[in-house]
Amino acid sequence: MNTKQKTAGEKSDTLIKAIIYIVLCMLAVAIIIPVAWVFMASVKQNSEFYGNPFTLPQGIHLQNFVDAWTKARMGDYFMTSVMVTAVALAILLLVALPAAYVLSRYKFFGSKLINGGFMAGLFINVNYIVVPIFLMFVSGDRILNNLFGHSFFLNNPFVVSVVLASTTLPFTIYLLSGYLATLPKDYEEAAYVDGAGYFTTMVRIILPMAKPSIITVILFEFLAYWNEYIISMTMLTDPNGARTLPVGLLNLMKAQNAKAEYGQMYAGLVLVMVPTLILYMCVQKKLTQGMTLGGLKG
Amino acid sequence: MKKALSTMLALTMAISMFTACGGGGTTSTGTSSSGSTNTSTAAEGDYAGQTLKVAAIETAYGSEMWQKVCDAFEAKTGATVELTTDKNLEDVIDPQMKAGNFYDVIHLATGREKALPETMLKENAIADISDVMDMKVLGEDVTVGEKIISGFTGNLTTNPYNDDKIYMMPMFYGPCGLFYNKANFTEGGGSLTLPTTWDEFFALADQTDIPLFTYPTAGYLDAFIYAMMPEVGGQEFFNKALQYDEATWASEDMGKMFDVLGKLAANTEKSTPSNGNADNFTKNQQLILDNKALFMPNGNWVIGEMADAPRAENFEWGFMALPAMEVNGDRYSYTFFEQCWVPAGSQNQDLAKVFISYLYSDEAAGIFAESGAVQPIAGMTDKLSDDNKVYYSVYDNGAKAAIGTFATTAPVEGMNFKQIFCFTMDSVVNGTKTAEQWWQDVQDACKTMAEAMQ
Amino acid sequence: MQKNKARSRFIVACVAPATILAFIFLVIPTFNVFRMSLFRWGGYSPNQQFVGLDNFITLMKDENFFRSCRNSILLIVLVTAVTLFFSLLFASILTREKLKGQNFFRVIFYIPNILSVVVISAIFSAIYDANNGLLNSILGLFRGDKDPIYWMGDQKLVIYSLAIAMVWQAIGYYMVMYMASMSSIPESLYESANLEGASRITQFFSITLPLIWTNIRTTLTFFIISNINMSFLFVKAMTNGGPDGATEVFLSYMYKQAYTNSTYGYGMAIGVVVFTFSFALAAIVNKVTKRDPLEF
Repeated sequence: MNTKQKTAGEKSDTLIKAIIYIVLCMLAVAIIIPVAWVFMASVKQNSEFYGNPFTLPQGIHLQNFVDAWTKARMGDYFMTSVMVTAVALAILLLVALPAAYVLSRYKFFGSKLINGGFMAGLFINVNYIVVPIFLMFVSGDRILNNLFGHSFFLNNPFVVSVVLASTTLPFTIYLLSGYLATLPKDYEEAAYVDGAGYFTTMVRIILPMAKPSIITVILFEFLAYWNEYIISMTMLTDPNGARTLPVGLLNLMKAQNAKAEYGQMYAGLVLVMVPTLILYMCVQKKLTQGMTLGGLKG
Repeated sequence: MKKALSTMLALTMAISMFTACGGGGTTSTGTSSSGSTNTSTAAEGDYAGQTLKVAAIETAYGSEMWQKVCDAFEAKTGATVELTTDKNLEDVIDPQMKAGNFYDVIHLATGREKALPETMLKENAIADISDVMDMKVLGEDVTVGEKIISGFTGNLTTNPYNDDKIYMMPMFYGPCGLFYNKANFTEGGGSLTLPTTWDEFFALADQTDIPLFTYPTAGYLDAFIYAMMPEVGGQEFFNKALQYDEATWASEDMGKMFDVLGKLAANTEKSTPSNGNADNFTKNQQLILDNKALFMPNGNWVIGEMADAPRAENFEWGFMALPAMEVNGDRYSYTFFEQCWVPAGSQNQDLAKVFISYLYSDEAAGIFAESGAVQPIAGMTDKLSDDNKVYYSVYDNGAKAAIGTFATTAPVEGMNFKQIFCFTMDSVVNGTKTAEQWWQDVQDACKTMAEAMQ
Repeated sequence: MQKNKARSRFIVACVAPATILAFIFLVIPTFNVFRMSLFRWGGYSPNQQFVGLDNFITLMKDENFFRSCRNSILLIVLVTAVTLFFSLLFASILTREKLKGQNFFRVIFYIPNILSVVVISAIFSAIYDANNGLLNSILGLFRGDKDPIYWMGDQKLVIYSLAIAMVWQAIGYYMVMYMASMSSIPESLYESANLEGASRITQFFSITLPLIWTNIRTTLTFFIISNINMSFLFVKAMTNGGPDGATEVFLSYMYKQAYTNSTYGYGMAIGVVVFTFSFALAAIVNKVTKRDPLEF
């Protein structure tokens, strides 16, 4: 390789680099501007929402947030959302981690069937099973009502958490299994030799090693639960009772024949968005580490 | 004014084929216990200990008036009212009712996107409340039937199965027609003359650069086309059309109507279909405020909906009935009314009926009217604010009232009648379909629906 | 023997909770979807009428259903192809090139994925607005004062407008997935390729692509599953199927039939078709893309 070629190569290299930067920046701008726009819109007054959506706000109208938080009950909804999401994540990890561990690293009678079953579960879409689940709760509540005089399943945020956790089990187990399967067998064997039981081995040895994929799961499912509204809309129907943030938000948006409260709505959108942004910023470094995807079996 | 309105509506009724239930005694009297309880003016505490579950949609009128009416009812009867109001009431009450927790009285109109009352009608899940008409209004000495302006009952909206049984009681009403900016027309100091016929309407295109027409979403066109049908063929024609009558839909008159609709589509502001959905329909309404479109079909709630919106200089809302098909022809305005009804699963239907009778009392109607909600009670329009009077006076200025909706049929798999009847307009505006094809589509759909009529 | 018993107990204790929950909240409801697809029922009345395969027969003649199929398949294919291209491109750029602000771009590109669809629909309705929208304002600089483009109003365009929004939302997610597997490819492979003078593009096709092939195959299945789901959420939020049904997709049509047309059984029949379709499509894609796995 002589020097002449090399400089030419470097030149084209700089050119390519420049093009790459331009493309990357364009995509970044295409993402930053719309997101920033939502923040900007949340401090506009109601009258500024008609006409050109990209005019700058006339002033910082923070009243929107106060109104959204109190008048539109976004404060209550926010707390419900936090609770539903936290409980659902706890249930999910508690149930999915041991299952994924055993399913990915043990062979036993029926393990193939269960593995295949969870894989098939990936194809079940929440949007069409939500009403059958609802109807199931309806009959459950009827029986409870007859026996004990009060219902349990509907309008219960805890039950929503259980449903959310259950419907995301296939994907979570899939993600965790993919990662756990890559860990060498030696660790467990060494632990057994030391006399550790199965449970101790799992909790002390394997789970700490699975931390990256657990963090990935937490981020993915946090986003899924936080933004979810189909299940919570169907299961939480009492307007004076608990509701999650996206459902409350939808209520602000979709109202026929009534004056739209755009300011409150965009303030609500920001309230939905900010926690996800914060969590993402916190864990984004760890995100890529945990995403070792295996092939699809079954 | 009230006289003119009631005359018009009575006229509507007289030539309509449904004549039952207009306050007459076709239903048996004294069968329901509440009916007899009520003949003696209800004393305080008559219903103490009973609980009534009421659900009402929160629209532009707000929810406060419902709270007040329920409080007044509680004070009068001693019953406890559990009130549920919500802007998206369907999302709240639909799961509850599927769960077997039925409400006793529901105020929720047909024609909304989620079509809950329609679904329940198809499933025969709404109670027959014909006897309310003969009950005395709670605390007054007149029957409900005597108070309601005739014509508001006995149509296909209140009697959805096309018999003499009332399932839906008429509530707040308002004329639907064309809204415009007065400043564009001579009445507001502008240069254009308000059209009285469709020919004059389309001639406006030569006098102004502003597109003639827009609509919030194509779904609003149902009230609009409902008013056009009697214009082309008269009341009986309209009623037959509402029952999917094949010959009516294939008739030449119907062809004339689709001609006008086609011309209207050609003169529609081009961005209308883009924004014609639940999220963006206010952008279409904004076109009128910005003088970017001349006319828009709508109801009086639009004034409240757009109260905060910026507007062109000297803008003033104007409202008129639809232009006539020919010189000196009849002009119509569709009378939209909301409805309240009793689910068949309600546990306390007797008290529910008493509550409904109370909704027509002067006291309740007064509370509603404070928020701008007008009951179809004779004399109510006299008590309106001047702003609202202008609006309700459309019938005084020679327009006739069209009332009713398509008849209820058994469910038809794969059929979305409203989509074909209204939303095809979007396709005609952006050139995907012709008005001719639209007509054909509606005819085909009507054939299917006619077969599903019970 | 003692050890075997302990092992079985441990396995049961670990697997049983997940299996039971999945059985109650996934298997039984899915079974009910299949069962109800054989009935005629509106959703309220107690009378459920068994009609056998009638719902499926009606479905095979339903023009509207076919339109929703076409739209769904178009979106699955289009969004998958475009997203795959861009996310692979950006992933390889961000892992292979020494760039300033690498981390910044990685963080930013993922943001659309964490937003709720409600936020995204608000954003895109502001971008696509025919008269004041961002897109038409920018294009207006080049096109002059011609008629605006009706991104959401033109029946031929609107499905592509939706596709763009979906791609915008999905790129970051798949990019991060590909980056994860690309970063595990040993640097030495690229170094020797560099010595041989292989260009970036050659390196991508001869090293990167074969080594992350398993990963790509897996994401193809994700694409199928999530595009069916996301297209529904986007349609519900942005167009509600309009204008005039031009953007109706599988699940939006199912929703309308099941909940606003009093034909719940018919809606469930659509659900059965969607389930079977996505399963079959994933199986086919999985077969077609099968290669001998490469190890490094």
